[in-house]
Amino acid sequence: MFRMQKTVTALFKHERLEVTRNTADEARGYAERLISEAIRYGDKHNATMELADFWLLEKQLVHKLFKVLVPRFENYNISYTRCLPLTPTYPCTKTDQFPKSLLELRGNPYPPVMPKDPHNGSLLHNILLEEARKEMRQTQYLETAKSIGKEDKSAWVVNEKAEDSGSSSEDERKKD
Amino acid sequence: MSNLVLFQLRKSTVALSAISKLNKTHIEIQFNFKYLVGQLSQRLQSTSSQVVVRENTKREQKRVVPPNYRHIYPEFLPDPNMEFRNSVREKLERTDMINRRSRIEIPEFYVGSILAVTSSDEHAVGKTTKFVGICIKREFCGLRANFTLRNVVDNLGVEIKYEMYDPRLQRVQVLRLEKRLDSELLYLRDADPEFSTFPFDMDAEFLNEGAPVPVNPLKVNLRPPPWYARWERLQPKGAIIPELRGRRKEKSEKWLEKFSEPWEKYDLMKQYRKTIPEEEQDSIYSDIYSELHQMEIASKKLKRKKAFVKPKKTG
Repeated sequence: MFRMQKTVTALFKHERLEVTRNTADEARGYAERLISEAIRYGDKHNATMELADFWLLEKQLVHKLFKVLVPRFENYNISYTRCLPLTPTYPCTKTDQFPKSLLELRGNPYPPVMPKDPHNGSLLHNILLEEARKEMRQTQYLETAKSIGKEDKSAWVVNEKAEDSGSSSEDERKKD
Repeated sequence: MSNLVLFQLRKSTVALSAISKLNKTHIEIQFNFKYLVGQLSQRLQSTSSQVVVRENTKREQKRVVPPNYRHIYPEFLPDPNMEFRNSVREKLERTDMINRRSRIEIPEFYVGSILAVTSSDEHAVGKTTKFVGICIKREFCGLRANFTLRNVVDNLGVEIKYEMYDPRLQRVQVLRLEKRLDSELLYLRDADPEFSTFPFDMDAEFLNEGAPVPVNPLKVNLRPPPWYARWERLQPKGAIIPELRGRRKEKSEKWLEKFSEPWEKYDLMKQYRKTIPEEEQDSIYSDIYSELHQMEIASKKLKRKKAFVKPKKTG
């Protein structure tokens, strides 16, 4: 339980943590429940104050919970935290055998970890790339259009030869 | 549109012309600048945000179901353990439970209330037996929900486990509706018999409509050990644990030091995993609310009719 207390305290303090996957998963539950209780009962409720006092080892974070995090998360209809898996950092030491994950509170001031949909067609680079692709296709169409008129007649000859060879093989089979 | 975006768009025309030069074609791309700007602005406005902010600041949703239903009808909520959840079975059970409740009145009661149960018994004289006792335990949910009544009959402690939706039950009457300080009163087995004796001809005690269920702060005296179970480990609020001596004391202290969890009341995830979440509770009870409400109204009418004694003519 002390480990969970430390993790929840650190999460509220730094708003972004790198912890082992299972710790993050469990601490996430406790953090969200704590925030939900604070939102539901508010500042003056004795039981909630005791709860916050137990979970948050640094007492300034109790103030942060009720003054900052509650107004931030009051109207949320999704989770208050985000948990993303992390890849191991090389060189692999013994501790890197335990996969880590990133645990953060939503609405934190840091730049986002996951980029917002890079394939979004409204983004400028995608508009430019789409136009470039269209241009490429146009050039290709023009080339094929040009080549329609100028067909290689030798191509037909090759086909006739193939047909002859095919019929000869059939005759051979009939003989057998 | 911001200046930065316009600048970037103008840069793009330069970039595209560069590409065309690389391909050695003289086709100019029909780059409708204004159309593009319009498209961009439209798309940026339409992208929905992840977090939906409600209009009201607090969750001011109208609640159809009264909040105390989970205390009055706790057996309608399924076992929170995911291994035992089955939505189809739960729905079928709920309909069966309501059907049974429409035939017999199963009242609101808690552990610590005194009940009188009349059930059909093939070996009895009038084919029915009545048993009065204090409810010491309530187990399970759905159609398997049961409660145990304890009484001392002829200096012998008797406990009978009744299933709430057993068709053999004819009448379940609450003689005294109250709660105790603990959720289970199994320690009455090792308490003085006076705390478990209740007369069979006990009258029903009247409670005002709408009044909260009283909590009896009684502290039961336990007999000296050995006991049925190590009650000192449970640390019950409604029982006075006598002074332990010698090896028994050492062992109990050791166990408490090792296994007692003073943080249990702060363990939020343990609570969460033992309960059905609020939204699900609401959906379950809203399914059956109309039927239960009608039954409540009907039972209240019956009670008033019974209470009213028509005045007789004298003289």
